[in-house]
Amino acid sequence: MKEVGYKFDVIVVGAGPAGSAAAYTLAKKGFKVLLVERGRVPGSKNVFGGRVYADPLRDVFDGFDEAPIHRWVTKERISLVNGEAMTSFEFHERKRTSFTTYLTELACWMARKVEEAGGTVLTEITVDELVVEDGKVTGIRVGDEKVSSDVVIDAEGINRLLLERAGLVPKLEVRYAGLGVKEVIKLSKKEIEDLFGLDEDEGLAWLMMGDVTGGLPGGAFLYTNRDSVSVGLVVMLGEAVKEVREHISRYVEALRLHPLLERYFRNGRIMEYSAHLVPEYTWPSLPHRLYADGLLVAGDAAGLLLNLGYNFRGVDYAAYSGYLAAKAVEKAHEMGGMTSENLSVYERMLEESFIMKQLRKFRNAPKMRENGRLYTTYPEVVNSVMDQLFHSPYEIPKVMEAFKRAKDGKIGWLDLVRDLLEVVRSV
Amino acid sequence: MMRKPMRVDDILNNDVWDVDYEPHIRVDTTKCRECEEKPCLLLCPAQCYTLAGDEVLFSYEGCLECGTCRLICPHDAVSWDYPVSGRGIHYRFS
Repeated sequence: MKEVGYKFDVIVVGAGPAGSAAAYTLAKKGFKVLLVERGRVPGSKNVFGGRVYADPLRDVFDGFDEAPIHRWVTKERISLVNGEAMTSFEFHERKRTSFTTYLTELACWMARKVEEAGGTVLTEITVDELVVEDGKVTGIRVGDEKVSSDVVIDAEGINRLLLERAGLVPKLEVRYAGLGVKEVIKLSKKEIEDLFGLDEDEGLAWLMMGDVTGGLPGGAFLYTNRDSVSVGLVVMLGEAVKEVREHISRYVEALRLHPLLERYFRNGRIMEYSAHLVPEYTWPSLPHRLYADGLLVAGDAAGLLLNLGYNFRGVDYAAYSGYLAAKAVEKAHEMGGMTSENLSVYERMLEESFIMKQLRKFRNAPKMRENGRLYTTYPEVVNSVMDQLFHSPYEIPKVMEAFKRAKDGKIGWLDLVRDLLEVVRSV
Repeated sequence: MMRKPMRVDDILNNDVWDVDYEPHIRVDTTKCRECEEKPCLLLCPAQCYTLAGDEVLFSYEGCLECGTCRLICPHDAVSWDYPVSGRGIHYRFS
């Protein structure tokens, strides 16, 4: 292995939201930063559902308002689906809190900010391993070359092969992962606005629970982009392994062909089909140590993602964890070096940030999602109540009467109360 | 066209790859012969794993690099690498 002559202060692996946020923050402070990305351009290996919360990114990146934002999500729709019936809850308020975009575009923009701040961004570089000498990470190996740095920030993503190879984390277990699969379907801007009742830069985030996932525990989503929609599902991998009955792409196709949904897609065409894993840890603690001598871990590689069932926070968590990793490097630099002890400040910063506060608060959410009744029984009961209320012209039942009829034989009062408490406690 | 089922291959045809000369994933298919569950057949989103008779066939070309096969393989038959410099899937709208 030959050593490249030039030494960096910091090497960041992976130009996704976490890596770019870390590299940008450090480059801005005058550190010599190298950001390496294995894709052809930053973002070309990134996939998300479809929505990002803006404020955490605004805290990290100057000039955030020039980011490639497609639509501000002003409309939230949550639907319980079973068979050919759907009961929806919709919230519409014209506040600009979260937006839709292509993550591939957003990641590109973030990496450009790194360059503007004076960092070096190299694409088409696949890191083979973290170089560990005397228990300290001293750089990266690419082919037979070593590039050295005082510290490496690993933002390689959920598969975290480099961390595994260095013996720093165990192999990710299926029960801690979700699988997201989606299609991006092209429509015209006007079609989207007409179909979903949106104004020019307004967007819709639509979460669906029930048998739209074909019985797999998880949920389906639809997000409106500028002139396309992203439609897909996230299933819990541990359960999917046992329960999957046909090829996973057929489950996404079932959404596209669903009698109540196909109207949105019938004039479209598929632009892209993508798949990605999602971290699904059962908290309250960090899944593994995120610092070592000469190393910090951020983003999906650190397992930082919140899935509430009705909302997902991944991209902003990743970017903000990268930002905190950069802040930790700054602190460690002031304290005299990139030792494990000095870098441990990163975990304290994460613990005190909104990321760990929220992950701790919602630690029961993953367990709740294992309750199969939430996907099957309740959507069925709710839709049956609605059906009785609106489709019984000669014999309108009272709500309680309809509810009793709907639930009889499906669920007892005791389980109902228990589930209600679980939901209230979890989310 | 959108109102009819599509073949997985036709859906995948919308994606762009720069296919590597060497596979980034290697599968020890002798282990697959012992495998009863074969979850890879249904859960690999790119359908890189197919069955020919009793044999599992694997092709890396259409891989979306999600990492699912590595996690779900009950016999640890999958050794997984990131594709080399710039190769593999190239997402543009995801």
